[in-house]
Amino acid sequence: MDLAATLKAIESSGIASSIRDSLYAFPLIESSHVIGLTLTFGTIAILDLRLLGLASVHRPFTKVAEVLKWTWVAFGITVITGMLMFITNASVYFSNLQFRWKMALIALSGINMFIFERICGRNVHRWDSDKSAPPAGKVAGILSLILWISVIFLGRWIGFTTTGNQAPDAPVNLDNLFQ
Amino acid sequence: MNDFAQWLAGTSLSLAIQTHLWFIPTVQSIHIVCIGIVLASVFMIDLRIFGWAGRDQTLVQTTRRFGPWLWAALGVLLVTGALMVIGEPVRELMSLSFWLKMTLILAGIVIATLFQFALRKNGRQWEEDRINRWTTKSLAILTLLVWCSIVVLGRLIAYDHVWGAWSLRPIA
Repeated sequence: MDLAATLKAIESSGIASSIRDSLYAFPLIESSHVIGLTLTFGTIAILDLRLLGLASVHRPFTKVAEVLKWTWVAFGITVITGMLMFITNASVYFSNLQFRWKMALIALSGINMFIFERICGRNVHRWDSDKSAPPAGKVAGILSLILWISVIFLGRWIGFTTTGNQAPDAPVNLDNLFQ
Repeated sequence: MNDFAQWLAGTSLSLAIQTHLWFIPTVQSIHIVCIGIVLASVFMIDLRIFGWAGRDQTLVQTTRRFGPWLWAALGVLLVTGALMVIGEPVRELMSLSFWLKMTLILAGIVIATLFQFALRKNGRQWEEDRINRWTTKSLAILTLLVWCSIVVLGRLIAYDHVWGAWSLRPIA
């Protein structure tokens, strides 16, 4: 299936055009996106700082990690509102370099989390009450903070690089999305 | 106010910010990171009041855990916010969203300060009794709503036209 045509079809869908036509929809969706992403980042940071031994050090890690269920709720809101914004101008966002990097870094933080679960999560009982996590856990914590802060920066840059822009006519180079 | 905004836009600091195009997005991004810290801190204290998270710690302990982060992040928000006003005075000062936001920030800070003082004074009473009262829980929800509205209004500065005739934006 033709990618450019698919993106155009998404843009002309009923829901996308009703968001575009409304004076209030996009600003309110974007605001909800900010609330969702700030809560996602803030609650993840609690955990990352605990891994690094910089906050909540007197509380067992597994207790601090209970916050993650709220992180997922906030992340869900962020993804839904993000998709709603994406469909209003799909081909422009898709061709935007900052957008692609942002998606890549979100995927990387997912992988980082998965690896952390595999390496450190398994023997959490051994370091649960230590003031900081073992080295691998600290690396995961630092990476997570760097990745999410970069995601926030890239997200803000999308807003500054897409307004009023037209999607390029050239077809998408699927072999290298970051060029 | 428009005159003041115009004057501010002509100052050398403002001009320096305006000519460096990377500056505003960078400051905005730092601003958002700090909003994350503030919102998550308020959220965690609220969750504790409702008993939905962190029940192994008391309310006093929870507030002591997040209070310093909240105030430090608010300090950075003040600085980055001021830089944005200096960099884009007309956009910020001539928008209804901005002034509504400032009013709510004042309310949010007053609530947070009073809450921390009250907790310091009558800690035990809060743990045993007040935390269960519906007034406390309503205040907790109200506080979260205040901070969420601050975020919404902050974003709406870019879309002041949503206020229609109430918008302060000068008609170009």
